[in-house]
Amino acid sequence: MNEGPFENLRLELRRGCLVLAVLAQLRVEHYGYTLRKALADDGLEIEESTLYPLLRRLETQGLLTSEWREEDKRNKRFYRLSKDGKVILKQLLEEWRGMGESLDRILREVKV
Amino acid sequence: MNLLNRYLQAVARLLPKPRRDDIVAELRANIVSQMEDREQELGRSLTEDEQAAILRHHGNPTVIAGRYREDNLGLAFGRQLIGPELFPFYKMSLTVNLVITVVVLAGLGPVVAHAVGGAITLTRALIPLFTQFVVVTLIFIALEKNKAHVLDKWDPRKLPELKANPDDGPTAANIFTFIVTAIGTLWLALTPRWLYLLLGPGVLYLPQLGLKVMPSWPLFYWVIVAALCARLVLQFFSLFRWLARPKARVADVILRGISLCIGVLLLLKAPNYVTSQYPDVAYWANLNFEICVVVAVAIHLGGTGRALFSLLRDRHQMLPARQY
Repeated sequence: MNEGPFENLRLELRRGCLVLAVLAQLRVEHYGYTLRKALADDGLEIEESTLYPLLRRLETQGLLTSEWREEDKRNKRFYRLSKDGKVILKQLLEEWRGMGESLDRILREVKV
Repeated sequence: MNLLNRYLQAVARLLPKPRRDDIVAELRANIVSQMEDREQELGRSLTEDEQAAILRHHGNPTVIAGRYREDNLGLAFGRQLIGPELFPFYKMSLTVNLVITVVVLAGLGPVVAHAVGGAITLTRALIPLFTQFVVVTLIFIALEKNKAHVLDKWDPRKLPELKANPDDGPTAANIFTFIVTAIGTLWLALTPRWLYLLLGPGVLYLPQLGLKVMPSWPLFYWVIVAALCARLVLQFFSLFRWLARPKARVADVILRGISLCIGVLLLLKAPNYVTSQYPDVAYWANLNFEICVVVAVAIHLGGTGRALFSLLRDRHQMLPARQY
């Protein structure tokens, strides 16, 4: 089977989910590496090269706040959901649940 | 950690300068945590091969740096031809190529035109530019198509060795700037005593011209000398990293601001900097001085604006000295 289109579609499907997962996970403060571990522990593996730049972008969009702090004798950049981020997360979750219900209904009739 | 430092150096080289140190510091913290976790699992230090495996998994420095670029642009013609990861490097390569071509054309164009006996037409000049554009674009489209194969074939152990860290000590550029400022300050401080330094042989005509400077000039003069001395001290402290970089940047902006204020106040005194028994001499002397002040103010305005903008933009990203 040709894996090219599947891989592209899989990545496309994941892209939006990752943002939602990152925002949801950052209700609790994390720095890049611990966030990646926390997501992986919940079954969502994400590459470092995708996650760390994504955090920057979300911060630029005002959805996250960050601060440099020393932990274990090393400076780390900690991220947390901002006030605007909380609002967006709530809206995205509603959207996600609505889409999930619709998809469930549609997929019930699909036989693979 | 040598391998990690070389990896971060390779990423840093491709990052936009204003955010470079901040991004590199964050990458370092994350990768070091990952390596420490792995060491805890194994109960020993990582070998070079294991470190290399972590860095390889982390990603090719070119891809990592591309993902941190904010522009996130690409080249598309119906479908995407060059993605956002490679686009900044495509843009950079294209710019360098086109600039070199324009310079070569400007230099060689008249010679070639003379040799072939024809005029340089726009069409003739556009052909090499268009060829460069097409060739560079095709190379990057091919690279984009084979990105996975090309960019995956890299080995952290083959990354370039570490270059001397500018934060470890004085750099040639910093030493040069310090020496130039020192000579300039000394020159200005000595001019009242030896006017020859300012006017050269023209100083011999000074008594006949009867030029007199404005009464407030001595105050302006000493404030300028004091500002230059302050800048010299700042440069000296920065040279040996005795002043933290964020503090040095704030002090730099303040000094630039002071210099700008002096320039603006001087500009308000125009055109009465000097008087003379000969109106023409006074007119030309004042005009020359005024032009010098306008140029100095314009330069300082640009410099201060740039330094202030960069300071405000990086205010949340100020970190201790670079570590790679």
